[in-house]
Amino acid sequence: MIGLNHYLLLGAALFVVGLYGALTSKSALRVVICVELILNAVNLNLAAFSSYVAPKQAVGMNFVIFLMVVAAAEIGLALAIIISLNRSNDIDAIDTIRRLRG
Amino acid sequence: MTQAILFYLYAAIALAGAIVLVRARNLLHGALGLFATIIAIGGLFLLLGSEFLAAMQLFVYGGAITVLIMFALMLAGPRVNSEDQPSRAVYWLAGIVSAAFFVAVALVLWRTEWHLSAPVVHDTASIAEILFSRYVLPFEIAGLSLTIALIGSIVIAREDDVLGDGTDGSDAPVGSTALPEDEGGLA
Repeated sequence: MIGLNHYLLLGAALFVVGLYGALTSKSALRVVICVELILNAVNLNLAAFSSYVAPKQAVGMNFVIFLMVVAAAEIGLALAIIISLNRSNDIDAIDTIRRLRG
Repeated sequence: MTQAILFYLYAAIALAGAIVLVRARNLLHGALGLFATIIAIGGLFLLLGSEFLAAMQLFVYGGAITVLIMFALMLAGPRVNSEDQPSRAVYWLAGIVSAAFFVAVALVLWRTEWHLSAPVVHDTASIAEILFSRYVLPFEIAGLSLTIALIGSIVIAREDDVLGDGTDGSDAPVGSTALPEDEGGLA
């Protein structure tokens, strides 16, 4: 029987894989994609909590919808920044970006 | 029983996609791995009894965000060479941090007694009831912030190079080049 812990462990595993990818990659695009994976893992946790722990009201499901909005805004801005940086002077490795350090 | 089989199938697809995303040399293959993960998580939403979230997962993530990532990959693909990979110490450190985090979360899950109740299927109407009554103000704010973020991303990614090209970025303030004629209207 599939219980709450199965979903939470799967969410934690996806989160950890995304965290590993975000920590080990030098490409800014891959970091952004890994952040998307992390947000997906959190979405899965929220939906599992909503349907197992507090199923009377669909509050967790609403949180998932809000998190999708945040993820869409985040990836739009991040990709715009990456494209702009790439157009200006051909950098993609994130440890060489120093424009905002002041 | 069918539920268990479906859960393990979706979980295997999701984990395989995530590992492909992390390990792929070609980032286009990594984006396809993310797509597989997204589809599998949509299936898990369906197993959790929320068909609306499953549809939204397919539309927003599987449709829009994946296409956006593909476009960004083709416009500004990674130019990191193989010798630019991080050092072995970074891999080890990231692996240790990730494994420690996973073990910590698993221990917490192992020891927590959840107050479970019988799962209830949330149809779309029950989500909408809360979304449009108790959370109507956050809903409006979320829509507004999404609009602002997308307008901002258009401004940033525009052709005339808001971030400067590195030669005269220091003497020209960013805001004056970003919004040439709309500043008076906004103020």
